[in-house]
Amino acid sequence: MNDSPQFLLTLRKLELLFRRDFAVASSYRAAFLIEIFQALFGSASFYFLSQFVQSPTLEKALPRGTDYFSFALVGIAFFDYLSMALTTFDASLQEARQNGTLENLLVTQTSLPVILAGSSLYPFVLLSLRTAIYIGWGALLFGFPLRGANWPGALLVLAASILAFSGLGVLSASYLLVFKRGNPVNWAILGLSTVVGGMMYPISVLPPWLRYFAWLTPVTYSLEGMRAAILGHAPIRELLPSIGGLLLFAAVLLPISFAIFSWALRRTKITGTLTHF
Amino acid sequence: MVKNSALHLENVEKYFPPSLSGWRAFVHPVSRLTVPALRGVSFEVPPGEVFALVGANGAGKSTLLRILTTLLIPTRGRAQVGGFDVAREPAKVRLQIGYHTGGDACFYARLTGRENLVLFAGLNNISLAAASRRIDELSEPFGIGELLERQVRTLSTGNIHRLGLARAMLHRPSILILDEPTRSLDPLAAAEFRRFLLEQIVGAHGTTMIFASHTLAEVEQLAGRIAVLEGGRLLACDTLAGLKAAAGAGTLEESLEILTRRAPRENP
Repeated sequence: MNDSPQFLLTLRKLELLFRRDFAVASSYRAAFLIEIFQALFGSASFYFLSQFVQSPTLEKALPRGTDYFSFALVGIAFFDYLSMALTTFDASLQEARQNGTLENLLVTQTSLPVILAGSSLYPFVLLSLRTAIYIGWGALLFGFPLRGANWPGALLVLAASILAFSGLGVLSASYLLVFKRGNPVNWAILGLSTVVGGMMYPISVLPPWLRYFAWLTPVTYSLEGMRAAILGHAPIRELLPSIGGLLLFAAVLLPISFAIFSWALRRTKITGTLTHF
Repeated sequence: MVKNSALHLENVEKYFPPSLSGWRAFVHPVSRLTVPALRGVSFEVPPGEVFALVGANGAGKSTLLRILTTLLIPTRGRAQVGGFDVAREPAKVRLQIGYHTGGDACFYARLTGRENLVLFAGLNNISLAAASRRIDELSEPFGIGELLERQVRTLSTGNIHRLGLARAMLHRPSILILDEPTRSLDPLAAAEFRRFLLEQIVGAHGTTMIFASHTLAEVEQLAGRIAVLEGGRLLACDTLAGLKAAAGAGTLEESLEILTRRAPRENP
């Protein structure tokens, strides 16, 4: 047995689960190449679409020195982190059920939250790579401004975003653990965030009453911080309101979502539905 | 904690909610537990014993094994594994047990045998170096040496079972729990697998083993004692000779028929 401290044991388990997913993914060699070109098509379609979006209201609402293409590319690329957080925990649970490994994983000395966290690492790393490719194509072919961006600041915003989004993801997984299909948690969060989160347009173009809802979703803070760091070249201190907002979401959501998840897990062990689809 | 008992069950009951579909499922998203799967099951298994569960489909065998592996929580009663309560001390219980089911889809098919074993060893808190040593140690007696560097999807069902048993034994559990271990094996592979269980698991390590099976020859060959379940109730629990004597029968199959016929029929 390993006598290392619990924290190190958990890190090792996260690494093992990451390696597992990397090994499985790398056995499908063509998928990665397809991913790269998919990102090119995505980036190109936003660019050409942005050529049509000419409105004085929008131009006034965009941060100074920013064109619509750059604004939308950051929005779309980083909004995916929310979608990923909402689906990755569900997906890893579903995958373990489907390939028959869930019971074998659950009889190990590793708790389900650690298994789910470890299983979400690879998707997040892959998403980060895809985001980098999106932005890379945007810079290479369509003039996305990379120079002057505050990358350490952007990474801080990203880390805080993943924490906040994961709280929502665990809530979503709890729902699926108990009810198996149809996920209103996912639907409500993604729906609200798509409309008011500022992915495709600045929230200042929303009617005043709808703007209040924008501050109820962490994606608003995340995109605002990302755009300020990458497009607005803002120093860390100017990013603090966004990072603070995201950390506040994480501080509230993570304990609540883990409590609900524990309840849901216990419930499935009582009803015998843990391994059901 | 019950001393000198590998497994101790006291009036274990398990009820499930009814499976609802359509509008009923919508109206009752959280149903009450009304469908009985186990009703007042009690028995003890001393360390080193091989103990079998037999009974028709739906008798409660797999439910009982899932309770012992902490995958289910009993509705009432107490179940202890290695002296630890399955509901209150699940992590300590999991340290005591190795678990293997007869299904052949229980590994990551695109990883090699070794990659799978290293992963599960790590999840059982075994360091990489210790895992490598342990895999090498198990490799010869379990006959998995040649399988370790191959992707699991290329292995036969029999070999996947060997790998599954090796996984269950990685952390040196004192109790092995097997759910229909030879379900998907052909007769020859099943016979070889049983020999292997007797020689390498029970004989060489003195591991306590509890398994569920529909194959009566397997039960006769492996088990020291046999528990007969019917409709969630424990009808009898004895040695093969004891069961035959109690039923006044010549074979285990006849004994099961007679004991099951004698059992009082009840509505759930």
